[in-house]
Order: sequence, then structure tokens, then C-alpha cells
Amino acid sequence: MSAAVDTNASYLTATRGWKSWAYTLDHKRIGMMYLFGILGALLLGGAFALLVRAELWSPGHTIAGKDAYNKFFTLHGAVMVFLVIIPGLPAALGNMILPIQLGAPDVAFPKLNLTSFYLWVVGALLLLVAVFTGGLDTGWTFYTPYSLQTQTAVIPAVLGAFVLGFSSIFTGLNFLVTIHKFRPKAMGWFQMPLNLWALYSTALMQVLATPVLGITLLLLFVERFMHIGIFDPNLGGDPVLFQHFFWFYSHPAVYIMIVPAMGVISEITTTFSRKPIFGYRFIAYSSIALALFSFLVWGHHMFVSGQSKLANMVFSALTFSVGIPSAIKVFNWVSTLYKGDIRLQTPMLYALSFLIMFTIGGLTGIFLAILSIDVQLHDTYFVVAHFHYVMMGSTLIAFIGALHYWWPKVTGKMYPERVARVAAIGVFIGFNLTFLPQFVMGSRGMPRRYWDYDPEFQIFHQLSTVGAFLLGLSLFGVVCYLMWSLKYGTKAPQNPWGGTTLEWDAPTPPTVFNFPEPPEIHELYNYDDLEELPEGGWVRKPSTGAKSSSGH
Amino acid sequence: MSQPHDDHHDDHGHQSRFIQHHYDDAQHQFDSGKLGIWFFLVQEILFFSALFVAYILYRHHHPEIYAYAHHYLDVKWGAINTAVLIVSSLSAAWAVRCAQLAQRRGLIACLVITIVCALGFLGIKTIEYSHKIHEHILWGKYFDPCVASAGNHLLNKGNNCPGVKTSVVWDGKAGKAKSGCLEGNYDQNPAEPGIQGKCEVIEVVGANRRPIEACEEVPGKSGGHGKPAKFPCYELALNPHVCPAGPAAMVLYGDHGHHGGAIEVRCDAVPAPAAPADAFADPAHVPTTGERTFAQHKAKSKHELAHEFASGPPPEHTNMFFSIYFAMTGLHGIHVLVGVFVFIWLLWRAIRGDFTPDYFGPVDYAALYWHLVDLIWIFLFPLLYLIH
Repeated sequence: MSAAVDTNASYLTATRGWKSWAYTLDHKRIGMMYLFGILGALLLGGAFALLVRAELWSPGHTIAGKDAYNKFFTLHGAVMVFLVIIPGLPAALGNMILPIQLGAPDVAFPKLNLTSFYLWVVGALLLLVAVFTGGLDTGWTFYTPYSLQTQTAVIPAVLGAFVLGFSSIFTGLNFLVTIHKFRPKAMGWFQMPLNLWALYSTALMQVLATPVLGITLLLLFVERFMHIGIFDPNLGGDPVLFQHFFWFYSHPAVYIMIVPAMGVISEITTTFSRKPIFGYRFIAYSSIALALFSFLVWGHHMFVSGQSKLANMVFSALTFSVGIPSAIKVFNWVSTLYKGDIRLQTPMLYALSFLIMFTIGGLTGIFLAILSIDVQLHDTYFVVAHFHYVMMGSTLIAFIGALHYWWPKVTGKMYPERVARVAAIGVFIGFNLTFLPQFVMGSRGMPRRYWDYDPEFQIFHQLSTVGAFLLGLSLFGVVCYLMWSLKYGTKAPQNPWGGTTLEWDAPTPPTVFNFPEPPEIHELYNYDDLEELPEGGWVRKPSTGAKSSSGH
Repeated sequence: MSQPHDDHHDDHGHQSRFIQHHYDDAQHQFDSGKLGIWFFLVQEILFFSALFVAYILYRHHHPEIYAYAHHYLDVKWGAINTAVLIVSSLSAAWAVRCAQLAQRRGLIACLVITIVCALGFLGIKTIEYSHKIHEHILWGKYFDPCVASAGNHLLNKGNNCPGVKTSVVWDGKAGKAKSGCLEGNYDQNPAEPGIQGKCEVIEVVGANRRPIEACEEVPGKSGGHGKPAKFPCYELALNPHVCPAGPAAMVLYGDHGHHGGAIEVRCDAVPAPAAPADAFADPAHVPTTGERTFAQHKAKSKHELAHEFASGPPPEHTNMFFSIYFAMTGLHGIHVLVGVFVFIWLLWRAIRGDFTPDYFGPVDYAALYWHLVDLIWIFLFPLLYLIH
């Protein structure tokens, strides 16, 4: 940036022109670009979901044939996983908020950050190439040997996912170094907001797990391109090895999705309960515990893939143990609510939805960890409903909640609160209407990924389809009113919710280097420090003493 | 070892112009970069880890493939490359020291040595690869070594006679093979009884692949400069259909140029014990020439046996060894290539005089990367070349 830039101006307006965005090194602008890309991908992935649900309205042919249906659910999965929920919280919102919560001017490696973003763009374009050159019908998991045989666009899709993996790795690396090296001296590890603990755990998994996906997809690419044979049984290779490699990444990937969601839920729950978070250290440690456990449970995806009995039992037991840190978090959030002064504003509505849906998603995961039950439920709609409760009902809901929580901070505009609450309720009802019937169907034996079904399942499929369209409509409404608010929203106060973390001490929207002066570090989650203004927003009481000033 | 001198810690005026604004000072920038490169290296290790897991898994399931196939890797080139990389690692480390001490010429020299070594490594790798490409000792589907015309069905059932190149037609009456696919023709034209136990000459016509080395044991007919056969050149003749009585047999590749060159295949009659039915399953018992019998083989030295083992018919799915070999060395080679570009960039910056005791992070980080690349090779060399 040249010397002419006013670093005390809002980051949104300090420089102008498309080049000032395309070449920006500002973490907030990069996060904003991610956000728009991800919202676009969300609409695309959502459109595929609605096509899937529309096709399932009646048995047999409704709107599309079998092959088209296979492509719909594959592209829905691939777009949603690789383009939306993995980068959603860390890369988009994490990028905007993480340095500010640390009181830092930027992430450690701004150029690498921009590189990550452009890698995301390249990966997204490659997936689009796959969509428009024959689609993809392997499922988002690219299982061999089918992915070696299908005539659909596996190569661009695999390359896209490979590139997106490196985008994720570099973001994680950047966050790890930023948290290690840019934490102010006055902010010890246990004075960090819980969101940062969650982002740290997530980054750890991104750096440690994603490379294995990278090499696996690279081998798959080489397999298709040069017939190297490592996963091809015709040449002596082992297709189940692909599953092991794939899930060694993709199970942690599920935690890459959920752990940052837990981070924002921790923040929102305490802020809107006006009460310090209950069990700070337990929540912090359980994030790290989830990161560690996530690497030890991949085998539970292969209970029926011919894995040895011993391996099945070990993976089953380890999978149960994941319930412990997850439950610790849920109990702590519920305890935080207890006797709190709960404000039912939009972010809190999403947080409460999260609590309910994550509990359902988590508990059904325990069902699936039981070997004997998993044999029955494997590859049925029960599994589909379970992971949608976690990946969508929890992660995406937390993402939307976090978006509302930080939207005023990063855009400087308030969204229309009343419309937003209606949309939040629509999302909640739509989601549960979509996926609760799927638990029932699955437990009665409806297999996943089937284009056709017995008439006895039709009522459940129709309920699910109605729910999906309500959900789609509500989310589309969310995107619309957020865009509307960019132009017509009222000006946001500096601290609209009365949060205690550092981003609420930064100007709204933040200046180029986030803070004109290094911020003071206050006690975390102490809501007595703040008072509500009659015109909206909160300020720190004049006399509250800062613990100390910042400095790295 | 590599802390920047921070005499000018508080004096921003003297700091390198490469200190970015969001860092407190040079030390802060250096430490951040160092932590970043370490996380990156962890990522790299995990990136390679899947290949190592695949290696371990297939070796565990098919030790015979590894024991057999590694003979086709040249320990000499591997060892030279190991030495080359170790030297380059030393020069890379030395470059860091030179940068710390502001020795610009030393830095440039060390970077040049590193680049030369890296290019040397790639050159040697190219020699090794081109040998293998020439002999069709490649990965997966393309594993199709010179004797594949007959060996295909042994090597790899999924790899049916892949085209004219290796195709031969076996003419039972004439005792000759014409062009076409030998494998496909066994069944239609099984070797006639007349061939049994007799010394027969089979000509393989239409093989346009240059023959490798002939079996030198035939006096006066050697096409291989006196070297032992490199690949199981007797495969054809060993086939029970071709030489049903012949545990002792040989194949001679006529050295007639690239296209249409004839390959002679001889089955030498041997007054030897009959071959066990599963001669193929027991490569240690494979004879190499008509003059030898099983009894003689047992008397051979370990080294000779090992060599003959290497020349025996490949176990099924030998291609997997080369798949893993090419995947691992290929990915490693890409990393070396990236290293070359990084060091050329550093060299350019060093010549420009960018690096000072205050600012030498990039040299340090590149050297760390280079050490990891070196280290991976240190694992690859014994795992692939030195199997016993």
C-alpha cells in the first residue's frame, strides 16, 4: 500500500477500485471476498439439493433420470463440502475476525492469505468446469474403483478439490502462526476468546489432515490419467486403501467444519446470555481434544468395507470417545444459558438452533458408532440425516449465526432484525422438516443415493422435500436481506451486542490495520464492564480498568 | 544457529526494507516465518506419508515383488544421488551461515553449488527414468518389459498383449513365431509334440522393440556384450506351451534394429530332470541357459542366485512396485524441481544484495525445505534400492 492510504479510514473505503480488492493484502477484504464466493457457492450447492429433493417427490422419474440424479447429489455434496462449509467459518469469517480478536493488524502472512483465496477461486472454477463438462456422479467421496471407470468429469473435480485442499492448508498455517506470534503479551493462551481456541484447533487439523487428502486426490488423478494402479484392483491395487486415505482426511474434515462452529457458538451463547462462559478451560481443551480424536476415528466409515473385526472394534470404541468432548461443550453452553439474561436476537436464535440440532446430530452419531447398529443403518437415510444434522444443522447454522453476529462489525450496517428472526425460524423449521423424516426412513431401510423408492417411503420423502424448499427459501431470504442491508441497512454501533472480545473495541467497520491504537486487553466475558446505550449498542463503563495495554 | 542479529532492534531506520509493516521488528518477522515453514514441513511430511503407507502395505502383502523388482533399480545411481543431495544440503546450510554473516560472495557460491547439485540429481534421475522408459519398466498399466510378449499373462493378467509392439504369433509347425499376440495364440496352436525336448529355434518376428541383451551363454551368438540377461529373456521358451519339457531353455533376442527386428528364441534340449509343474511359482529354480540344470543351480553362490532370481519371471503384479517407485520418486523429483526454482530466485536476490544479517529468512526457510527434501530421499533410497 502506498503512503497515501489513510490507515485510520475504514478498510472498506480506504482505497477504491477493483484492483484495490483484487490485490489486497487486508485480511478483512480477503475474508469479505471469500464470503461472497462462499455465498455464491451456497446458492449453487443449495440449487442442487433442491433438484435432489424435487426428484424424490415421487418414486421413479419425477423431474430427472437416474444419471442426472446421481450428478445432482454428487455435485450438491462436492460443492457444499469443499466450497462452502470447509472454508465457510475459518476462511471467510475466521479471516475477518481472528486478527481483530487478537488485537493484531493482520494475519502473519498476508500474501499467503491472498494466495489461499485465489487457490479457492481456482478450485471453485475447476469444480464449475466439472459441472459443465459432464458433471460428476461418483458421490463427493470419489470412491475407487467407480471413480476410475465413470465417464464423468472426475479429473477437473479431483484437481479442484486438490487445489482447494491447499487453500485450506495455507489458511490453517497462517492462523496457527498468527495465534502463536501475534498474541499480545497481555493475552495469555487462556485469555484468548474461545473462538480463537476453536480456530486454532481447526487450523491444526487443516495442516495435519488436508495433505493426506492432497496426496490421495493426486494419486487418484494420476490413476485416471496414467493408470498407475495403486487403487485399481485390475492392476493389483487396493481400492479400500483409497477409502482409508480419504477418510483419514475427511473425518478430520468433519471436525474442521464443526469445531469453528463450536467456537462461534461459544461466543454467541455467552454474549446473548450476558453471563461469563461456563467452564472456559473445559471448552478450550475440548476443542483441542476434538482435534486429536478426529485423527483416530476414520475407520468408522469402513465398518462394512471388509475391515478386520479388531479394527472395527477399536474404531468403534474411539468413535464413542468423541462424544466426551462434544458433550462437555454442550453441557457448558447449556450451563452458560442457565440463569442468564437471555436476549433472543438473531445470532442467539441460530445458537439455540445449533444446540438442539447438534445434540441430535451428535447422539445419532453414537448410534452409528455401535457396530451392530451400523451394519443395519449403513448407507441408509439415517446416515444422511445424521451428518446433515452435524454438517448443516450445526455447522451451516453456526455459520449463518456468526454471519449475523459479525455482519455489523465487518460491514458497518445492521441487517433488518425482524425479518432476520422470521428467516431464522424458517431455517429451523425447514431444516428439521427436511431431516427428521429421513431418520425414520433410514431406520426403516431406505437406502441413500437411490433414485427410486418403495411407495411406503413417499410420505417421508414428501415431507422432506417440503422442508427442503422452506429451508432453501429462508436461506435465500437471508442472502437477500444481507445484500439489501449493505446499501439500506442502518449504521451499526461499535458494539451492537455487548460483546467483550476485542473486535468490539475496534471501530465499526474496522480501520485498515484494525485498531488506530493498540487496544487494551480487558477481562474476557465480563459483562459487568459494559452498559447498554439507549440508542442501541453497548460501551465500556468509563472506570473499568484495563488489565494492561497491548504489545507483542 | 539462526537468530538474526538484532542490534538495530529499535532503530527502524536501519532495518532491512523487507521487514513488513505488520511485524514489530525483524526478529518478529523472522520468528513468524520460521514457525510457518515448520508447519509447512509438517504438512509436507503428511503429504508424503500416504505414499509411505502404501509402500508398507504392499510390501507387507507382496514381499516377493519388492525382493524381485528392486534389482531393476541401479544402486550405483541411487548412491550417487544420495551423495549429491547430502552435499547440496551442506551447501544450503552453509548458505544460511553466509547470509547471517553478510558474506555475499560465499552466499552466492553456496547457492550455486546447491542449484548445481539439485540439477545433477535431476539429471541422474532422468538417466534412470529413461532407462526404465526404454525397457518399458513403468508403472501400473504400462509395466510391459521387453519380454512381455510371452510374459504378459504371467506379469499381469489385465494387460493383454498391448498391441503390435510386443505381439508375436507362434507358428507351431514351423517352430517359429510370426507377428501377432503370442499369448492369444498358445491356446489355438499349442506347441507341437515334435518340439518337445528338442532344441528348437523360435523366431519372434515383428517385434519392433529394440532387444535388450541376449543371453550371452550361447557362444558366438551373444548380442549383449557378454552381460547376463537383464530381464527374463527366456520367458518365451520357459513357457510350458513352448518348451514343455524345458526347464532349461533360453531365448535369444536378435539384434536387428528397431522395426521388424527378429527375436530368436531357442529352447535348448537339456538332459535334465523334468521341470516341476509350478516352475513359475518358484523363481529360485529358474535356469538361465540350456547348459544348466537345477542341480547346478543349487551349487551356485548366493550372489549368483540372487541375480538369477532377478532374472526370473516376475511375480504377479510386479507393476505395483514400479507404480510406487514412480509415485514416490516422481513426487520427490517435483519437490527437487521446485527447490531448484526457489534457489534460483534466492540466487537472484542474493546477487541483488537483498540479504543482510537482519533479513535472511528466505534463505533459512528454503534451506529447511531443502533438508526435508534431502531427508525424504534418505528414506527413499534404502526403501526402494537396498531391499534384502
